[in-house]
Amino acid sequence: MPTEPAAHGRPMVELRRVSMSFGRLRVLNDVSLTVSRGEMVAIIGPSGSGKTTLLRCINFLAEYDGGEVLVDGETVGFRLENGRRIRRTEREIAATRSNIGIVFQSYNLFPHMTVLRNITAAPIRVKGVSPEEAEARARALLSRIGLLEKADELPVNLSGGQQQRVAIARALAMQPKVMLFDEVTSALDPELVGEVLAVMKSLADDGMTMVVVTHEMQFAREIANRIVFMDEGAIVEEGDPKRLFSAPATERLRAFLKRYRESYLLS
Amino acid sequence: MLLDVLIGNLGYLLRGAVVTVGLAAATVVPSAVIGMVLALAKVFGGMGVRAVVDVYLYVIRGVPLLVLLFFMYYALPYSGIDMPPLVGGVLVMSLYFGAFMAEIFRAAILSLPRAQWDAARSLGMRRRLLFQIVIYPQVFRLAAPPFVNTCILLVKSTSLVSIISLWELTLAGREVAERTFAPLQIFGGVALIYFVLCYGLSRYGLYLEERMRFAH
Amino acid sequence: MNAFVARYLSVFLDGALVTVELALAAIAIVIVWGLVVAVARLSRVRGLAALAGGYIQLMRNTPLLVQIYFIYFGFAMAGFGLSGFASGLLALCLQNGAYAAEIYRGGLQSLSVKQIEGGRALGMTPWLTFRIVVLPQAVARVVPPLGNQFVLILKDTSIVSAIAVGELTHVGKLLSERTAATYEIFFVLAAFYLVMTSIVTTLVRLNERRVALLV
Repeated sequence: MPTEPAAHGRPMVELRRVSMSFGRLRVLNDVSLTVSRGEMVAIIGPSGSGKTTLLRCINFLAEYDGGEVLVDGETVGFRLENGRRIRRTEREIAATRSNIGIVFQSYNLFPHMTVLRNITAAPIRVKGVSPEEAEARARALLSRIGLLEKADELPVNLSGGQQQRVAIARALAMQPKVMLFDEVTSALDPELVGEVLAVMKSLADDGMTMVVVTHEMQFAREIANRIVFMDEGAIVEEGDPKRLFSAPATERLRAFLKRYRESYLLS
Repeated sequence: MLLDVLIGNLGYLLRGAVVTVGLAAATVVPSAVIGMVLALAKVFGGMGVRAVVDVYLYVIRGVPLLVLLFFMYYALPYSGIDMPPLVGGVLVMSLYFGAFMAEIFRAAILSLPRAQWDAARSLGMRRRLLFQIVIYPQVFRLAAPPFVNTCILLVKSTSLVSIISLWELTLAGREVAERTFAPLQIFGGVALIYFVLCYGLSRYGLYLEERMRFAH
Repeated sequence: MNAFVARYLSVFLDGALVTVELALAAIAIVIVWGLVVAVARLSRVRGLAALAGGYIQLMRNTPLLVQIYFIYFGFAMAGFGLSGFASGLLALCLQNGAYAAEIYRGGLQSLSVKQIEGGRALGMTPWLTFRIVVLPQAVARVVPPLGNQFVLILKDTSIVSAIAVGELTHVGKLLSERTAATYEIFFVLAAFYLVMTSIVTTLVRLNERRVALLV
């Protein structure tokens, strides 16, 4: 069980009644969620439930229509002025994003850059870190995830699991306040999943605030401080992992877990 | 068949070949720039911009290059624009091939996985940096094989400027053939020189294609 | 502008007619000749495949204009001179036949062995499989790029003007030298070519499906 997060103090991530529609489809329906500093929240749910969209709202890759998103007290994407929503400037949005780390399901790394350059490019060009320090930081991160010897390789020569680990290192190199994970193991061969989850676990142990969209129920149950179950654009149930998985309160979660267990048992 | 006429005039023809290469080289860069601008306009532009680009592409793809060259050659003196025909020729060819480059670049841009854009933006990169270090390098690598193949067409098309009296390999060949009455030898030799130039480019294009296969 | 067009319209139409004749003849020949070359290229007879391959490379890497000059002036010097129209037609067919052959080759080769195996597994004879599984797909794959090649043939007819064949571009050139109405001439030429190429493109697009069904 990871360290208990700070229950008091300003939350790291706050989603207040966030809504979003694609045309007539309501993808997110008045979703509210708070993530405390150092907390690891796992979001589970069927495909189409809006969990990926919710994640992408946090760093404004998805431009939500209603509600507010705050990271470390600052509104993301929009700011309120006299009750009116005003879109933030590109510069502000980019600055906010540079403090939020995100890892995607696939095609994370820039294929034309070496592993080292993948990790150092943004710190140097976006945050103005000196090349020497950026490289030192990168090598430290690579060492930590056990891939230092791959520093000068191109991504195409790495396995899927190695690429995802490098993607995590790249996001960490920006020294983010919160890390977002969008089904980062879903596209991996089963035997490569473990190495990625191990890195995520060590991040959680170190107290990083994490929001993880995942299908890895076992991992979520063991590592997360809190589980959030989403369906059809809304949070249906949330709470302590042990309790949620063993005694789901809502019928929908029960059905979801049943389907999951059945497919898991069969495979 | 004796080739002494050809061999005797080979130096002259080769000088023409140098001009041909120069013409092609001078056209490649502007047409690539035009092509990229048009591609970006088509991918990111609003409806109005895209419509203008579509009209341009429609006209360029429907009208023969020679007609465009003639227009430049005959119309320019009347417009009062004091541009040497050589520059005009390169300009017309750049505008022409830029249209074909546009489709190549557009396809390359669209083939980039969305996660590349997402990842770059998520790292806090703004538009200029994003394009500079993530998008352009990949687009050029992706577009390289068809780009090189278009360059072959470009080299062949430089022969058309001979019709508007710009001196290059084909015109040199015509001059020699008329003088020596040995068209088979001379034009055969001219064809051979073009072949060497273009075949070399096509091998380079194949090499690039091979490299691409290992990159993804 | 209107006065100019009215005065010279018949001249332009004559030129356009020659263009169309040239283009249609070349297209018809290339459809067949390209297939012949493609089959030769894919044949198991090594010499034939190499010959076809060499021909394709030669055509793809030499300009049409040089080929036209070679045929027109060269054959005349050798004793069996061809008319401008014939020389132009021959050059157009040789050059574009090579590109068409590559298109055919691409279409034929892109069909996987699996398709044929699938057909055999269902109990179809190789010929039946070829006719109802392989060929329609090959045709569908080949028609769009071939259609594009037809447009290129049409545009290439303009190059035949270099040996004074009276097609549209040549007409335009002569009029440019005689009158000062360059802009008008260009617009008329452009309009003619755009109409012609648009017709070809539309015809190909409309018939894409029909050709596949026909087969």
